[in-house]
Amino acid sequence: MHTDSNRVPGEPMTLNFGPQHPATHGTLRIVVELDGETVLKATPHLGYLHTGFEKLGEHQDYNQFIVVTDRMNYLSPLSNNFGYVLAVEKLLDIRVPERCEYIRVILAELSRIADHMVWLGMGALDLGAFTVMLYGFEEREKLYSIFEKVTGARLTTSYTRVGGLMRDIYDGFEEDVRAFLNSFPKALKEVHALLTRNRIWMDRTKGVGAVSAEDAIDYGFTGPCLRASGVDWDLRKTEPYSSYEDFDFDVPVGANGDAYDRYLVRMEEMIQSGRIVQQALDNLPDGPINVDDYKISLPTKEDAYGNIEGLIHHFKIIMDGHGVQPPAGEVYSATESPNGELGFYIVSDGSGKAYRIRIRPPSFIHFQAVPHMIEGGMVSDIVAVLGSLNIIAGELDR
Amino acid sequence: MSEEHEETTEAQQPLVIQKVQEQYPDAILEISDARGELTITVRKDGIYELMEFLKNDSELTYNFLADVTAVDYSLMEDALMKYDYARFVVVYHLLSTEKKERLRVKVPVHEKELSIPSMTSIWKVANWLEREAYDMFGITFENHPDLRRILMPDDYEGYPLRKDYPLRGRGERETFNFEEQNV
Amino acid sequence: MGLESQLGDNIFTTTIDKFVNWGRKNSLWPMPFGTACCAIEMMATLASKFDLSRFGAEAIRFSPRQSDLLIVSGRISIKMMPVLKKIYDQMPDPKWVISMGACASTGGVFDTYTLVQGVDGFIPVDIYLPGCPPRPEDLIDAVIQIQRIVEQESISPRRQPGAIAS
Repeated sequence: MHTDSNRVPGEPMTLNFGPQHPATHGTLRIVVELDGETVLKATPHLGYLHTGFEKLGEHQDYNQFIVVTDRMNYLSPLSNNFGYVLAVEKLLDIRVPERCEYIRVILAELSRIADHMVWLGMGALDLGAFTVMLYGFEEREKLYSIFEKVTGARLTTSYTRVGGLMRDIYDGFEEDVRAFLNSFPKALKEVHALLTRNRIWMDRTKGVGAVSAEDAIDYGFTGPCLRASGVDWDLRKTEPYSSYEDFDFDVPVGANGDAYDRYLVRMEEMIQSGRIVQQALDNLPDGPINVDDYKISLPTKEDAYGNIEGLIHHFKIIMDGHGVQPPAGEVYSATESPNGELGFYIVSDGSGKAYRIRIRPPSFIHFQAVPHMIEGGMVSDIVAVLGSLNIIAGELDR
Repeated sequence: MSEEHEETTEAQQPLVIQKVQEQYPDAILEISDARGELTITVRKDGIYELMEFLKNDSELTYNFLADVTAVDYSLMEDALMKYDYARFVVVYHLLSTEKKERLRVKVPVHEKELSIPSMTSIWKVANWLEREAYDMFGITFENHPDLRRILMPDDYEGYPLRKDYPLRGRGERETFNFEEQNV
Repeated sequence: MGLESQLGDNIFTTTIDKFVNWGRKNSLWPMPFGTACCAIEMMATLASKFDLSRFGAEAIRFSPRQSDLLIVSGRISIKMMPVLKKIYDQMPDPKWVISMGACASTGGVFDTYTLVQGVDGFIPVDIYLPGCPPRPEDLIDAVIQIQRIVEQESISPRRQPGAIAS
């Protein structure tokens, strides 16, 4: 596709691709210099959705910040909630009960499926495959109704708490999830039939935006993008957290690191996530969901209403200036979010509010490599590359 | 999660500490292993060479730079004292995909000479991460190929993540020039 | 067209109003200015389960020059505001604006240095849609509210160009 015969001689032209452009997602902006259809130079601009999450984290107590993490990668809020509380729990040096870990894993994996479904739908829509988006969103709606029943919200879930969960899962959760696990592979099969051997899809994605394994590591790729380049790296395997070592699953690895491989890796990841959820449901332990420490977790309703100590503990966690107070120190905790390594670096001064919260956003780091991936390619490849990377503006700009 | 909070003793020093101390005897200011996270605080002088060593040494292989950021310690008195009243600390999170080990490198930077060498030529990922630290804290990265603001508008004044910068800004939300932007 | 002058009858004019408004309200072409979380719910509204096309507003146009309903969904930063303003100005009259979600309407939970605290300081808003994010049903309701507004308008120019804004 990129032979010299395609090149049209003439003056280079500058095209402003975004921030509000028919072919970009959210608020991405790339200024591209074109020679005919060939991209000579690409300069990404970002910050159009900069919200000041990190600054806000210094002014909110540890549980309040969970609400902010919802709005970071809004395709998979549960994964963000999960990653953040793990960091705070590491700072506190506590481990939550096993039941809580399993529920968190189930919901994180379900939200990985939800994330990949939207990525699939939007990526395919960008390349002209409208039907796939409708299929993807149909499955996603099923997940949304499960999330809504569990957390009370479709999208901004805020489900985890430092040291536990907001509440336990509802009766019938297991049946709902199992029904979903039965239905979504069928939808994936249909998508495979629509795309995987589709001539147009393959032409648009094969060999497009290829990144070698060395470059991928040099550019800090993580998650599906790194694995598509042939690096077998998944934090759930290499640095297991929250009982991930209990589950048997495969890590799909690509070979060429192009948009097509990223598509295949994500498709397979959804199946593997389904496997993890299945195992977690089969072995879901009974027991409490919160740590047994009223300095961290809210006391039960009976305690809060029934005795003065419970009331005081409740008051101390809720009131401004108190809350969860980890010891002074610093911590970096990374989880395998749907997009890659989502890291939280928290510096605590021992008070109820973080001294500094730094979020390591995978999208930000992947977006940096876009010029490397599209320079020398065709202008239409930009859309395919952006679609395959799944850049989420909320996480990109924070 | 690790149970050990105390600093590691000489006898059980991890390999990376031994090698760095051998190669750069004066570089390390402080070693800590709190919560199972190995952290070294090092001098700014020679930081570029040290990082290059950490990446390229065949036994260390910290080939992956996970994150670059900074912390403004101006409101934390004990930290300030520890770092000889350096207001900022630049924090690097390194990872070796081969050995599956992480290392945090902290570099105190004084406000008087607010600059540190750029690591872009060692890890390409450093480029934007350093731009973000520049944008948010005003720390200059020497020999950076393209040191511009990244998240805030080009003509923005102030460095939002500094501790003396108010959460709600200094009225930019009202006074910002919304007309003459190049969009 | 000069038609009104030949007719000279108020009753007939309102009938044209009604006729035109009937057409307008049932074929709103939204311009989705989706920046953040609300955009995901907006996409869900357009997708299979909720299907905004039942209300005639499914013809999403990413070009402001072809659309008459601006849906501002998501946080608007000071860096983004000039873009939004330009897009609003590029839309031909008549045009309507939905400010979807708490962030677009008030800044929401983000009272920070970089977020505009409500787009209504810069562009006129017809419907404020509460929620963080609003459910797809809420967005459908907002579109129906816009249809009610459209119904009651006249075909004479709605707003003087340039009379709005900061």
